[in-house]
Amino acid sequence: MNILLYLIIIIIGAIIGYRDLIKPGLKKHLGKLQSYSLLFLLLIMGIKIGLDRDTIKSFGLIGFQAVTLAVFSIIFSIAAVKLVSKHVLKEEKAGQTQNDI
Amino acid sequence: MTFSILFAVVAGVLLGYTVIPPEVNRYIGYGIDFGLCLLLLFVGIDIGRQRDIFDKIKKMGLRVLLVPLMIALGSIFGAMAGGYLLKVPLKEAGAVGAGFGWYSLSAIELSKHSPQLGSLAFLTNVSREIIALISIPLVARYIGGLESIAPAGATAMDTTLPVISKSTDGGIAVISFITGVALSFMVPVLVPLIMRM
Repeated sequence: MNILLYLIIIIIGAIIGYRDLIKPGLKKHLGKLQSYSLLFLLLIMGIKIGLDRDTIKSFGLIGFQAVTLAVFSIIFSIAAVKLVSKHVLKEEKAGQTQNDI
Repeated sequence: MTFSILFAVVAGVLLGYTVIPPEVNRYIGYGIDFGLCLLLLFVGIDIGRQRDIFDKIKKMGLRVLLVPLMIALGSIFGAMAGGYLLKVPLKEAGAVGAGFGWYSLSAIELSKHSPQLGSLAFLTNVSREIIALISIPLVARYIGGLESIAPAGATAMDTTLPVISKSTDGGIAVISFITGVALSFMVPVLVPLIMRM
């Protein structure tokens, strides 16, 4: 588990953002840079799954079961959070969708 | 964004399956770690730029922990409901759901019971991560920011956090990290506990 490492990196980023240490020229491209890094990471994660022949093979056998369980988990989780979201976010507005790729 | 995410993941799987030699697998972990660290730095920058975040989170106090609690309940009971339709024993389906997207740990834990259950836990939780990546921008736009953390489960602190941050705002990103950490602590406790019931 890398929780501590992740936390440290996020805190370093937060300090950079809070103190406004990014050059204005770079700031303009930050959104795009973030999007491309994200897609690059997802591409590598995909490659990792594609390279794993066992996973691909078992997906053919129990893929339907796995996707069904995952979809039900996700839908029930969203519904459960929806029940409490107003209570949790009291005094602040729900997150708004910002930039899109 | 959903389309770009889907495209990147599918293109990666196809490349990995067809073109890229298996030897690359040894190094791919480093690539993922590097990409993840870079993205988490960006998440941090987004958080830092919104100066009032910590006051807001402080005002929420312990209420913020309702989010991981509800995701845990939703994931376990959701998997049980899915298991009921598929005729998978409820206990096993619930334990698979309690992996919350952390596929490596849940698969190792459940393969102690049977290799088939381990495989199901692995694939269900890999599927959860991929479906989360694709659905988070849609949930954020059409349902709500806080709800967009729900598909992510335990991955809300790492792999899906950049998507949540990009689809919502710095405040939700902080709640997402806290949620991911809380759920990650629950996985090694809940998975064996449900199997023992």
